[in-house]
Amino acid sequence: MAKAQGNISVAIEWLNKYLEIFMADHDAWRELADIYLSLQMYKQAAFCYEELLLSHPTVPLYHLTYADVLYTLGGLENLQTAKKYYASTIDLTGGKNTRALLGICLCTSAIARLSKGRSKEDKESPELQSLAAKVLEKEYKQRAADKLGLLTSALRSLKI
Amino acid sequence: MVAELKYEISQNAYIKLVLHALKHKTTAVNGILLGRVNPQNDSVVEIADSVPLFHSNLALLPSVEIALIMIEEHYGSKGLGIVGYFHANERFDDAELGIVAKNIGDHICRYFPQAAIFLLDNKKLEALPMGKDQSPVMQLYIRDASKNWKLAGPDGGSRLVIKEPAANAVLSDYISSEKWQDVVDFDDHLDDIKKDWLNPELFK
Repeated sequence: MAKAQGNISVAIEWLNKYLEIFMADHDAWRELADIYLSLQMYKQAAFCYEELLLSHPTVPLYHLTYADVLYTLGGLENLQTAKKYYASTIDLTGGKNTRALLGICLCTSAIARLSKGRSKEDKESPELQSLAAKVLEKEYKQRAADKLGLLTSALRSLKI
Repeated sequence: MVAELKYEISQNAYIKLVLHALKHKTTAVNGILLGRVNPQNDSVVEIADSVPLFHSNLALLPSVEIALIMIEEHYGSKGLGIVGYFHANERFDDAELGIVAKNIGDHICRYFPQAAIFLLDNKKLEALPMGKDQSPVMQLYIRDASKNWKLAGPDGGSRLVIKEPAANAVLSDYISSEKWQDVVDFDDHLDDIKKDWLNPELFK
């Protein structure tokens, strides 16, 4: 209600108070996360999703959004964790979640950019990215052929 | 000194964005504006088309990045670039330009310095069916010399016009026929890639 009235800081306060008691209310966690995101308080939003993942580890949406938040936060560690969560989303959704597949490609490319010049110990599986790319291309070919060209050049621009 | 620019938006680009906002009344939405500087008059930015982007998680980067790559690729081949950003707030009475909008606007300015932000004016939108107002139901924000986003005033300076004067009448018609249901955004595409964010059939 406070949110609907535009009183965002009050809304945050109330939600936090509420969640101290009703920790299992996942709608409330999501609501709070949404508010944090709109204020670009990504760390706090990530925390909300961590709580959600603890209580609902098999909901792919939480894995996906958590990965998105981590990617947005940036930094090598967050990107590597994000990649793991995109991968778990793909696992949980049977391999065809477009957002998660694209997330893998974005992460791999961002990680490569950040680790340029660093030691090769971070040499991750480039196979994951090419696998994701292949699935995406196959999906687009079958269901959105007119966009396949755009997808291919997008993937190309991500492969450094 | 910031040049005084005239932003001329095409009817289709304009209507697409407003319909998108109406389709998702309970959330914030955003979109990208495509166009170019008028080759005969560089104080005019022509907005030829628009792509509705998201109605959820507007503040998250991955989808925005992918969308921008694909949009630039598609429109680049037609000689058009990203010239602006559209945003509609979640709440009816929120007429403030939020952080997310400013950040995306700043990002676009890096590639097109005359980029502008267009914020949906809910009050004007509501008044639409009742009046004969031909001015757009959007507020124009321009970046000033200190890189702050300022509302373009009616007292001169930059302004936004719709290319086709009858656009609001057409828009009102579409609103009554609930045409917004046909609008596809990038969010919809990512959920089901069969859905086309170019909306090729929308105005046929």
